[in-house]
Amino acid sequence: MSFCLRSINKTIQHTIATSRWNLYPILSQVKVFSSPKIIIGNSTRNTSFFNKLPADHLWKGITSVSNAGKKRGRGKTLARKKDLNRGQVLGLGKANMLWPGLSAPIIRGKELVERQQLPEDPEREKKLIQLRDKMGALKSYKLSPLERGWSGNKMPGRSIGPPDPIGEDKFEGFDTKVIEFKIVFNMKGNFGRKRRQSTFVVTGNKNGLAGFATGKAIDPKAALRKAKNRAGQKLMHIDIFRGHTVNHDFFTQFGATKIYVSQKPEGYGLVCHRAIKTVCEVIGIKNLYAKVEGSTNVQHIVKAFFLGLLRQKTHQEIANDKQLHLVEFSKDNEYYPKVLASPTVCRKADEIRHHEVMDFTQYCYDGRIVLKRKKFPIFYTKHKSWEVHLKKQEYLRNLDKTQTYLRAEYGELKSFLTEKYPECRPHKVPPKEKTSEEE
Amino acid sequence: MCTTVLREICKTFPKYTSKQFRVFVSLRSLGYASREYAHEERDPAPFFFDSNVQSLLRTLTRVDLNKVFRKRKTGDLKLEQPTYKFLTDEQLQDALKEAHEKSSQLLQIPPVIKVRKPIDTVISNDPALQGLETSKFVFTDISYGIKYSQRIIVVRETDGTLRHADWDVRERMNQLYFPEHGRKLKIPRMFENTNLESLLNRKEYIFLLDRACIQFEPDDANYQRVTSITYQHINDNNDFEILRSTRHFGALAFFLTWFKNIDNLVLDLLETLHIEEVNVLLQLYEKLHDQSFGAEKSDEVEALIIYINKAASKKGPLELAVQAYKDLKKQRLQLEKGIQAAHGLT
Repeated sequence: MSFCLRSINKTIQHTIATSRWNLYPILSQVKVFSSPKIIIGNSTRNTSFFNKLPADHLWKGITSVSNAGKKRGRGKTLARKKDLNRGQVLGLGKANMLWPGLSAPIIRGKELVERQQLPEDPEREKKLIQLRDKMGALKSYKLSPLERGWSGNKMPGRSIGPPDPIGEDKFEGFDTKVIEFKIVFNMKGNFGRKRRQSTFVVTGNKNGLAGFATGKAIDPKAALRKAKNRAGQKLMHIDIFRGHTVNHDFFTQFGATKIYVSQKPEGYGLVCHRAIKTVCEVIGIKNLYAKVEGSTNVQHIVKAFFLGLLRQKTHQEIANDKQLHLVEFSKDNEYYPKVLASPTVCRKADEIRHHEVMDFTQYCYDGRIVLKRKKFPIFYTKHKSWEVHLKKQEYLRNLDKTQTYLRAEYGELKSFLTEKYPECRPHKVPPKEKTSEEE
Repeated sequence: MCTTVLREICKTFPKYTSKQFRVFVSLRSLGYASREYAHEERDPAPFFFDSNVQSLLRTLTRVDLNKVFRKRKTGDLKLEQPTYKFLTDEQLQDALKEAHEKSSQLLQIPPVIKVRKPIDTVISNDPALQGLETSKFVFTDISYGIKYSQRIIVVRETDGTLRHADWDVRERMNQLYFPEHGRKLKIPRMFENTNLESLLNRKEYIFLLDRACIQFEPDDANYQRVTSITYQHINDNNDFEILRSTRHFGALAFFLTWFKNIDNLVLDLLETLHIEEVNVLLQLYEKLHDQSFGAEKSDEVEALIIYINKAASKKGPLELAVQAYKDLKKQRLQLEKGIQAAHGLT
């Protein structure tokens, strides 16, 4: 009986019968025939949803978002419209037929070509489907790690090459990096909301010459080009101390953005806000620490940083201002006093006023003091489990050093007991054997 | 070729271990032999510690403070930001003076003394203790405030002999109980002859000599082997400039003079027109070997000519160099006269 019912269900599906009066007699038939039989539905339906509407309307159903939804940014991952005619050529179809005058010449040599059935091409369908699958899929822009900016495939932080040459002046050795890339709107009386792309870029030759500019255009590419070329026209010269860092620590401010910048030794790197880091890379500064206080608007950060760089004093200026020798004491050269700059006339010790700022860093920060928060011990160090962990780990404290020493001395890990118990030695991974292909 | 032969020896006579094999190889490869201040020969110490000799050596070192306070390979990975200070004239002078004092400390020449005698003093022989233990016992007096060389360290042998420990054991014990920073319990592999050669070829003289100073005592035969080989290599390759303004130049000059091998150094000094240093070197030679060239009074090449005739081994090149030096001097004098004439001064 159940088998019978299943076959009925199938039958209902097969016959595209939707009308009720058609269905009734079939069901009534079931009662009559108790043995399994194939029932053939007679009704057909020649109009459907698919052939009533034009293709455009059908596509719209799956590709469109309402206007209100679009404004909210919906429907970004919806399907794209596909051109189903692509790859199809007139005269070439599923049945591989040769049509003289359409898909073949009428006369070949002296003979008249006849209509002909060629063997079926099994690849054709596959190719068509492949072509359709390719269409409409969203392209994923995966950037190589070298090209990548600050985040994913976003523009900020990415390099867009040197400014375009002007006549014979080429910007050799220059590189431009995007700092900000955003959409801005403007209200117009007759057009309404006008949308444009705004970019903020910085360009430089990595050797103390750099400039920054904004560029706006409807087209993002045009905006980038505009900004890049404008930045190339606004170059500034910046002193780099010993080719790697800033001349001295300094404080700088633009609007509500305050930056404390400090000089660092070689090998320290750029420890700062990513916008400052990008600017430094373009200028050619390699080591620096900067703390941004207040607003982190990137345009303001860049402007404040450039201002600070331009306001740096040379060591000679500082020495002249103080009327004292400026002397460097470095651990690298055993604290040998290295005179960086000497004034024309040096003051005596009794001429220095008692409240004068004599600390170099204080002098550079113009009497300001950087707020350094007290570092509290990490929370887990107060737990009992941390103490237990430390106790458990204590015997490992010189393990790596000992292992290195043993390997250098004996070529393996061993102890005074190794000779007595040769089987007790750490497992060694045997070296990989070279296959003939590798060779 | 030689290596393969040695390898064969090792194969056929299994009693030779790979370690011994390494010693074979190392003995073979280096082109220099050790030249020690042997303990049965003349003692260099009284000459070396003479204040006049010290000042001569210091002059020869030609101190350049920028090189004395150079950036060193200390292996210190911690970065440190330099400090900047505002100083008055007096404060600056004081700081420079302090640095100068420090430089003399940094430039202190490692002592040149004879190789020490081996220790073989037996304190007592107690055959009753024979076979009591299967290993030796070393007894060390670890009280503080005793010099390395005077610390009492004795060994009880398995056959019952009680004797003073030999130098190897003494150094190991001293290092064990009172570790010296940078000194290793075992002699580092870099002082084996094969590795030494590679270091010498890379001209890592300062590294070699510095580490030898830390690792060995100055009267250790190993110290004298390493340093003497290095000095000979420097002398043969005319790399004197590398050692200038370091603490080792004085020891090098003393070594070359002591073993009467100063011709290369003299040639180098002549070529760089340091005639006054040539005279200083000849004074040192006079002091060490009790000969006289009149170097103290001469301020030109007179003393050098006497030296060439009396004691030099490379007479030809030295005479040529003297001639070249004289010609250059003459040319310069003429040029000066010409300039003065052009200025209307004569």
